[in-house]
Amino acid sequence: MSGWIGRKLEMAALVLVIIAVVAAPLSGSRLLVYYFTITALYASVVIALNLLLGLAGQVSFAQTTFMAIGGYGTALMTVRLGLNPWLATLLAMLLATLAAFVIGRPLLRLRGHYLSMATFALALGTYSFVTAAMGLTNGGIGISGIPPLEIGDVSFAEPRTFYILSWIFCALVLAGYMLLAESHVGRAWRALATGQDIASTLGIDVPGLKLMAFVLAAIVASVVGSLYVEFTSFVGPDLYDINIILSLFFMLFVGGRGSTVGPIIGAGIVVIVPQLMSGLERYQNLIFFVILLLLLLIRPAGLLGRMRESVPLTALLPGWLRVTREGGTA
Amino acid sequence: MSAPPELKLHGVTKRFGGIVAVTDVSMALTAGSVTGLIGPNGAGKSTLINLVSGFRRPDTGRIMFADHDLTRLDPSAIARLGISRTFQQAAPLVGLSVIENVMVGLHTRYRSGLGSIVLRSPAMRREARANAQTAYALLEQFGLAADVHAEASDLPFGKLRFLELARAIGMQPQVVLLDEPAAGLNRVETDRLAALIRVLRDRGITVLLVDHDVPFVFGLCDQVVVMNFGSVIAAGKPDDVYGNPAVREAYLGGEDQEAAA
Repeated sequence: MSGWIGRKLEMAALVLVIIAVVAAPLSGSRLLVYYFTITALYASVVIALNLLLGLAGQVSFAQTTFMAIGGYGTALMTVRLGLNPWLATLLAMLLATLAAFVIGRPLLRLRGHYLSMATFALALGTYSFVTAAMGLTNGGIGISGIPPLEIGDVSFAEPRTFYILSWIFCALVLAGYMLLAESHVGRAWRALATGQDIASTLGIDVPGLKLMAFVLAAIVASVVGSLYVEFTSFVGPDLYDINIILSLFFMLFVGGRGSTVGPIIGAGIVVIVPQLMSGLERYQNLIFFVILLLLLLIRPAGLLGRMRESVPLTALLPGWLRVTREGGTA
Repeated sequence: MSAPPELKLHGVTKRFGGIVAVTDVSMALTAGSVTGLIGPNGAGKSTLINLVSGFRRPDTGRIMFADHDLTRLDPSAIARLGISRTFQQAAPLVGLSVIENVMVGLHTRYRSGLGSIVLRSPAMRREARANAQTAYALLEQFGLAADVHAEASDLPFGKLRFLELARAIGMQPQVVLLDEPAAGLNRVETDRLAALIRVLRDRGITVLLVDHDVPFVFGLCDQVVVMNFGSVIAAGKPDDVYGNPAVREAYLGGEDQEAAA
């Protein structure tokens, strides 16, 4: 059964992730710990995006907007108002939840590409706003001096401590995703992703369930936005650039839509692979995108995505180079 | 137990642009009966099902189910009142297994919220187990026990029809609207479908059946409604309707001529 193979692949990927996460700090490389920390944070956002897109089938570009609410919300509340960073994280999360309701409710009632178009505009608008609203956000200069999270004497400014915190958060998000995915709610999400009319004839509240997925994704994005700036102590517009939202989609598509561990693998690849090519400098991006393109051509469903048919490598060759079987056309 | 409520249409009219698809249709579906709706192509039968199930809104007239006015409700709200429907195309929920398809039909029976799902509360697990068993029992009843874990979209067409019906019955409807359920089925499958529809009626479920298969409809229904050009031209017991000259002229006669040609 393909389902069984899929499950084994997911298990293997999960074991690989756990080994890598345990081994990275033991290696003694500060850089590796840093990149793995970033991976954990982005992976969490991508798991939430997977819930929204992979399960519920909703294409939304609003993730960076909610990350910005978390990031700037935390920065303003701690630096300007002197609030405790934990409290600021919580308040920013509530603000993101409210924003997700206000944005999601009207958009998710509509069919078609409204959600994608409107949230894409929102993503562009978010970047312009945080760049332009000098008085509030300091524009391109950003806001620095954001205090780190602390529990008693333990400060999460220390990279290894924050590393643990970020992976615990990622594990919680993953566990939440898994529990929801196999529940009746997850099943209803998968149903309405492709069969909205059928789902509604079965009494499923389609706009309500879409909104639930949208809000959950917003909550995770906001918390990641807060954690990120509390770690680096700085927030600036570049964290919410349009490149970031595209990277999130790359992470999801490389890892595999609708797969469980895929978003972590995808985030790891998109964060770490470009660093391995740092010697190539100018061609770094080009080579990286060629790798991504090849990967998606060979496995359109992503590394861990569920595929009904595998695409042979030869299918990538031009027709005249392809070996044809039994004289048939390729 | 009190009898389930009647579904009533009062002077329902629907136009698409300049074309009147349904003209001033009134009818009542007696609770626990099977009503057949027949008529030539374009008579307005499917439009009528779309109106009752909320996929279209009537321009004038009202559709009542007990004290509920369905006229302005959306499909999901109408389904939650206990009115379920199937589609002509018998589409599966793609990417879901056969049993998952039926379990989506049971969705409204679940009471667990996000909290109990994430905390895996005993009540939530009990509920999930009970509903999985219900879904399996439905699949057995509809002759799909061997295909439980198959990908729904891999089923042959005949089985898809029964899967769709099992899914619609899963939400425990009081009324089911079946849009050409026998289309594409062979004789054996059609007979099994008729037997299943009788079982539904015996359980007190009201059935509205749109179909082209005249012997199938007349053999099964307690009441037959005939539509032509958007209007009801005859309604009553199958025998009375069958003998009605207007019906033979407009529909049965027309078909005979087609067959003769």
